[in-house]
Amino acid sequence: MNTNSNVYTVIYTTVICVLVAAILAFVSQALGPRQEANEKAETISQILTAARFGEKAEWDSKGNDAVLDFYKENVAEAYTVDAEGVKNGTLDISKAEIVTVSGLKKENYAIKDAAQLALPVYRFKNGVTVLPIYGAGLWGPIWGYLAFAQDGKTLVGAYFDHESETPGLGGKIKDDPAFQAQFDGKNVNFDDAAAFAIVKGGAPAGKTNAIDAITGATMTSKGLDEAINVWLQAYKPVLNR
Amino acid sequence: MEYISLFVKSIFVDNMIFAYFLGMCSYLAVSKNVKTANGLGLAVIFVLLVTLPINYLLYTYVLKPGALAWMGESFAGLDLSFLSFIVFIATIAAIVQIVEMVVEKFAPALYSSLGIFLPLIAVNCSILGGSLFMQNKDFINVGESAVYALGSGIGWWLAIVALAAIREKMAYAHVPAPLKGLGITFITVGLMGMAFMTFMGISL
Amino acid sequence: MDAKLKETILNPIFKGNPITVLVLGICSSLAVTVEMKGACVMALSVTLVTGLSSLVCSLLRKTIPNRVRIIIQLVVVALMVILVDQFLKAYAYGIDKQLSVYIGLIITNCIVMGRIEAFALMNKPVPALLDGMANGVGYGLILVVVAFFRELLGSGTLFGFPVLSALGYVNNGLVILPPMALILLGCIVWVQRAIQKDLQEK
Repeated sequence: MNTNSNVYTVIYTTVICVLVAAILAFVSQALGPRQEANEKAETISQILTAARFGEKAEWDSKGNDAVLDFYKENVAEAYTVDAEGVKNGTLDISKAEIVTVSGLKKENYAIKDAAQLALPVYRFKNGVTVLPIYGAGLWGPIWGYLAFAQDGKTLVGAYFDHESETPGLGGKIKDDPAFQAQFDGKNVNFDDAAAFAIVKGGAPAGKTNAIDAITGATMTSKGLDEAINVWLQAYKPVLNR
Repeated sequence: MEYISLFVKSIFVDNMIFAYFLGMCSYLAVSKNVKTANGLGLAVIFVLLVTLPINYLLYTYVLKPGALAWMGESFAGLDLSFLSFIVFIATIAAIVQIVEMVVEKFAPALYSSLGIFLPLIAVNCSILGGSLFMQNKDFINVGESAVYALGSGIGWWLAIVALAAIREKMAYAHVPAPLKGLGITFITVGLMGMAFMTFMGISL
Repeated sequence: MDAKLKETILNPIFKGNPITVLVLGICSSLAVTVEMKGACVMALSVTLVTGLSSLVCSLLRKTIPNRVRIIIQLVVVALMVILVDQFLKAYAYGIDKQLSVYIGLIITNCIVMGRIEAFALMNKPVPALLDGMANGVGYGLILVVVAFFRELLGSGTLFGFPVLSALGYVNNGLVILPPMALILLGCIVWVQRAIQKDLQEK
């Protein structure tokens, strides 16, 4: 058979494309529910880690159900707010309902376009409030959770995740416990030029709303800095209450 | 003014080779002499210039969350961004295939000297990198994405022609035998990369 | 084992190494060699992906129309990487989280495409599979060597455990930056060609 004829080329390409699309569609249909359950437990474990209820590795080893149960037991309320900080939706605690990463992505567009917001707020029984952030790193999206103490200024902890930052450099926002530990006990200051800063070359001594950037990961550090500040501005009414 | 600063920035500050180290394989392998380097550089500029605006349009009107709103209310909630990777790659591969056919027909000499590396433009990470960066850069229109593509392409071309020129000169230098060719090229590119880092602090 | 098959397996590991001789897969070898762990994960994944995609493309080699072969090859590679990712996401989420970062780097790794173009399209499935995997191993070897020096000198650790930093070593920030990986690669080429004289360029 002449594999170089036009007809054959067109038919072959079409068949391959349809086949690939069908396989991908079937697989994502069949595996979808399982993946969603895993993703949800992962997100909740990140929220719990940010609030310093335990180490991330601990949650991973405990399994999905344990994570969900712990969350349901300890969360006081979960809801969404608009740009004025007014509650405009409730997340069902008994079902451990949360806003997923793709949900955060949509909110990120809404913040930029000054559209109607529905930003999630998670309040825990011990007074800690966890707020998500979302933005762009070097290669793809980065997101994470900031946990605040009752005063709405002091950071209790933080956890970050990313899709495709360079392992060992930008990937450290997730993998380096020392980087995340820098957030503990710091605070945000809306009177400052930037409410929170990630400073290349090291944060000035004594500044309580700044931390050191990651060496060799300028773009990721910049992206995280921007994500934190953009989302903190959006959450300002919630934090200043 | 926006366009000019974006253009200059993408050539020097965000240079694909020296700031992001993308597209290295073909960069190192096809930089033996200025003529072929020039050819590959131009091919990269062209491919970037065509694929980036196309991928921009695809991303804005098909893939981005809520991008399908123009098809009606019921499509507004759709988020196809998980497909962006495979769509970008397919677009790039298609364009590269067309370029390959055109070059083979109209410039057979160039075709034979580029050899295996023309198909490899498809996996030249600087091309895919351009499209992936574009997702994060929030360009407001096709024009900006085209200017960014042109700038990145020229930056890549500049880098490969510069390296090729250095390598042509280096033929007359006394390089230790085992380092000749590839070895000294790696080291040269490393040093050039360090030099280019001086642009990093400039904000336009 | 017959001699030709043995040659297919052994050649890419030293004499025809994809990075230092064929100049393939440089971008990713700059990106993932900051730490040993990342380098090992990447080496394993590339070995698997190169082997499997060479196998599939070799099976399809008689049917692929020449003019659209690049698109078909890329689609096959991307499909397989995404499929593996989807299954891991459903059944082994922990592993998937570790790997998801590398997916983009694997699909665009020119070793995968380079071996399909140069070997798999002209050879039977079994040699194609072996060639792909052997190239992955050769690639991984260089990755691990570079990562060893970069992690040791740049962060003072190995696999995250303090080695030099425990001895009071001050980390060399330059080694973390990509230009230093290039210079290290240059040194590896130097050593290799000093041993393997016939690789030296005139």
